[in-house]
This record gives sequence, structure tokens and C-alpha cells, in this order.
Amino acid sequence: MRREPRPKRSQYSMTEHTAATVSVAGTRRGRKYAGLFLVAIPVFLVAWMVIWPILTAIPRSLMQVGTDGSTSFSFANYQFFFSDRYSLNNLTVTLWTTMVCAALLLVICLPLALYLRFTSNRIAAFVQSLAIFPMFVPSIILSYAFIRVLGPNGTVDLLLNGVGLPRIRSPYLTPWGPVIGLVWDNIPLTVLILVSGLGAVSNATIEAARDVGARRLAILWHIILPRITNSILVAISFGVLGIFSSFTLPYVLGPAAPEMMGPFMQRTFRDLQNPPMAITQAVITFAFCIVFGLFYIRSVAKNRTP
Amino acid sequence: MATLVSRRIDWTGIVFAVLLTIAIIGPLLVVGIWAFTNVWRFPSIIPQEFGLRWWSATLARADVWSSISMSLTLASVVTLLSAIICLPAAYAFARLDFPGRDILFFSFLAGHAFPKFGLLVAIAAIFLQLNLIGTFWGVVLIQLVGTLLFMIWIPVAAFQAVDRRMEEAARDVGAGPFRVFWSITLPQAGPTIAAALLLSFVGTFYETEGAWLIGAPQVRTLPVLMISFINNQPVIQFGAVLSVLLWIPSFIALLFARRVVNSGSFARGFGG
Repeated sequence: MRREPRPKRSQYSMTEHTAATVSVAGTRRGRKYAGLFLVAIPVFLVAWMVIWPILTAIPRSLMQVGTDGSTSFSFANYQFFFSDRYSLNNLTVTLWTTMVCAALLLVICLPLALYLRFTSNRIAAFVQSLAIFPMFVPSIILSYAFIRVLGPNGTVDLLLNGVGLPRIRSPYLTPWGPVIGLVWDNIPLTVLILVSGLGAVSNATIEAARDVGARRLAILWHIILPRITNSILVAISFGVLGIFSSFTLPYVLGPAAPEMMGPFMQRTFRDLQNPPMAITQAVITFAFCIVFGLFYIRSVAKNRTP
Repeated sequence: MATLVSRRIDWTGIVFAVLLTIAIIGPLLVVGIWAFTNVWRFPSIIPQEFGLRWWSATLARADVWSSISMSLTLASVVTLLSAIICLPAAYAFARLDFPGRDILFFSFLAGHAFPKFGLLVAIAAIFLQLNLIGTFWGVVLIQLVGTLLFMIWIPVAAFQAVDRRMEEAARDVGAGPFRVFWSITLPQAGPTIAAALLLSFVGTFYETEGAWLIGAPQVRTLPVLMISFINNQPVIQFGAVLSVLLWIPSFIALLFARRVVNSGSFARGFGG
């Protein structure tokens, strides 16, 4: 529930309206500052708790506190991270999880989105509701459900045992645990973003291609995919940003070692009480995600005029 | 939407529907069954005894009640504070012209260019110096920041969608600015603003990462309690009953939000 929907854009240009409504020239100046005054607190909060921590993260990660309490700058934290086997394993498992999840999400959601775009019957409406449903299931409930179904002595084991088959090798507490949970969690928005992108592909284009004898695969490859490349990239960026530093699902479902960057940062910060090292890890996650992040917010901003 | 794939029986749809039902509804159904089970021992496929025994056991626990009240208090305080600071700001963004308006409007996106937990760690380092770690207000602050974007962007769209001619008409017949706001603007923007408030409340209620990183162990919300049940509680039913309790706010959100989510504009808000 950390994302923000955006209702439809207004057809009014508000500067025009403001100019029209503010008839008295003297009040216009007052209004200018009234606006700044009204937005001051939220803007201050963003500046203090988003911009400032990000800007100071790099200097903080470079700060070394000596035994006598003096501070100096050094790359020691980064040197440690990139020479420490355990840290590198955690980074590797995070990259692996993110890539596997992104690939699985595309493989699952693209066919779903194509089906939803080109079918309108009651089954499609039902499928759409099912695909969106995980949005209304908090990840902590999902984690619990996962353990009850795929964990040891879970429902799958029960059913297999019932028909006389051996138990599964449970994905619980293996790197596949977070993968399954994260994919489940990210299906709704991936499907919604792809369906929305497919809305830009007109039926007429596809009918025209079909009239000249294009096969379904050819239509998909030459007509549909080029038109939704941007939506696919947005969906992947959004997924990567959420998955790379996810905390709850890897913490509950993943192995104790290697752990993903989310639980790793949390443990470094709270349990090992080493904030500079935790910030170093945060800066490294920022570095790996920055391209996706900038691309993502650019796409959101493009869809919205203030 | 015209149907391009026309078939008598929608086999693709049936396959999708069956697979998704198994993968999405199945696990939740299992939790639901566990919550109303008194005894269920391996390898029986159905529970040996159904009943409400673990409901009374769960509801008799002090830690469950204290985290329910903690979660409700936190979500209410954060939503209220967010409304107090964000709604006037949204009105200003929608209606007033001031220097730097566009850049300030988009500044709320800044946090979303970064992986969330990394950002939380960076904030936590600042909170550490301010002694806000492990405090109620530390968690309030971190969750408040999480609500800013949608508590501003959604109401801005709501205020922009209000029919300006009606406001001008009211002003023409002598209504003062507050009267216009109260009688014309608010009723029209109200439903969307209510949706933003609901979203903010539910989002805060389930916010786990900030609460865990900043608040633990002093501030224990319901999701945080659920994590400790999963990790340390040998009795399965406690977690199952708590899951059902925990799902109630989401269920309410589901009833209200389905129409919004199914509309295309929702996905476009994510850049789709």
C-alpha cells in the first residue's frame, strides 16, 4: 500500500483561472506567499526526511569515527564491503532475486495482460479481479499463508502425502521463498501497468496486420511489443525498485545467510549497531537502482501536469 | 473494447482463472481454515476439529490488544496529521500560483526514485542523532513522510476537477470564500479526498518496514507482532487468527477501492 494512484487530469489550466479570479491586483502578491505558506510543511518534511538523508548518505558512509571520537573521511566502509565475502554474497543474492523476479513477472504478467486487453467477457473480468487481488493482501499475511501452504507439513505436503507422493523440498527459508512471495506481491501493479500500456495499441492496427496475413506471433512481435516497450520498462523499473530493497518477505521467508540487502541493512543498523556501514550498504543499493529510479519517476512525471 | 479473439469457449480465460484461483485464493483460504480450526494434525487432509477455541485464546492475549491499539492509534494520528498538513497544500497546488510551484509539486516524487528500505536506513541514521529511534513519534514521522505523495497528488486532482463555474456563480451571488469552499468545493472534491484518507490510513496500518526499523522493540504494531508470531510462535492458529484480524482494514479498502483500481487512470499514475 505504498503507492499512489492518480485520478484523471483536469482540463483546466489553473494559472488562467487564478489570474481570472484574482481581480484585485493588490491581493495577487499576498496570494503568492499564501501558496508558499500553505505548502511549507509538507515541502519541509520532504526536504528534511527525503532530500537531506539522500544527499548526506554518501558523506556519512565515508565518515570514520576514530577511537578518540575524531572523524575523518575514508573509503574503508566501501573497501570492507567489496572485499567481504559475506557482504558480496548478500549483494549477489539480491541481484539474483531481483533478476529472477523481474523475469518471472514478465513471463506471468505479459500473457495475462494480453489476454485481458483483447478479451472482454465475464471470465476476463474475473481473471482481472484475481490478478489485482494481491494488492489487498498485506505482505505479512502473504508470508504467513506461504509458510502454511509451501512450508514443512504445509498444504502441498498434505495433499502429496494424501496421494502417496513424497514431500516437496520446501522453498521456505531458501532464496526461492522471497522470489515466490515477491512475484505474488508484484503481480497486480505489473498487470495494471501493462494493460494500461496495451490500451495504446489500437484494434485497427492489429486488424490491418491480420488482413495482410500476419500470424499471431508476428503481430505480437512486430506490432504489439514495439508499442508497449515503454510500459514494459516502467513495469520492470517499478518492480526492481520494490524488490531490490524489499524487507518483510525476504526477512520472513528467506534464508538467514545469504540474506537480501533489506534484512542485511536492518541487521547492520539495529543488531550490529553500525549505522555508517548500514548507510554504505544503502548507498550501494541506491547505485544499483538509480537508473531504474530516474526512469520510473520520469515516466510518472510525464503523465502528470501540475 | 472489441473482442479480437472470438471463440465459443474462452479456454485461455479458464486456464488463467483456474491457475490464479489456486495461486492467489488458495493460500488465503488455507489461512482462513486454520483460523477456525481447533485441531489439525498431520497427515489429515481436513482438520480434525473446527471451532473458535483459538479466537478466544488470541483475543485473551495482552500483546495482541496492545498492538491493535498501537496500530489504530498510529494510523489515526498519521492520517490526521497528514490531512492537516497536506490538504491545504493540495489546495494551494491546485488553485494558487506561487514561485517554484511546479518543482515543489514534483519534489514529492523524489523519494520514489530510490529503493525504499535504503532510504529508510538513511533516515534512521538522522533519527539516531535526534534520539527518535524506538519512539512513537519517530514512527509517526517516518510513516507521515510515506503518505505525503498520495495525500497531495490525489486531492490536487480532486480540487482541479471541481467545476469552477459553480464556485464563481456562488461568489457572484455574494458567498464569501469560506462559504464557497464549504458548500461548493468540498462536496465535489470530498469523495476523492475521502479515498485518499482511507488509502493513507490503510497504508499506514500495514506499514511494516519503517515501524520495524525505527520503532522496534518499543513500538509494536500489529504487523510487527505478526512477524514475531511467524518467527517464534509454535501454535499455528495464533498467527492464523491474527492474519484474519489483520486483514479487516484491507478488506474495507477492497470494498471501496475496487472501482478506482480497475480504471485505467490508476495504472497511469504509476507511469504505465
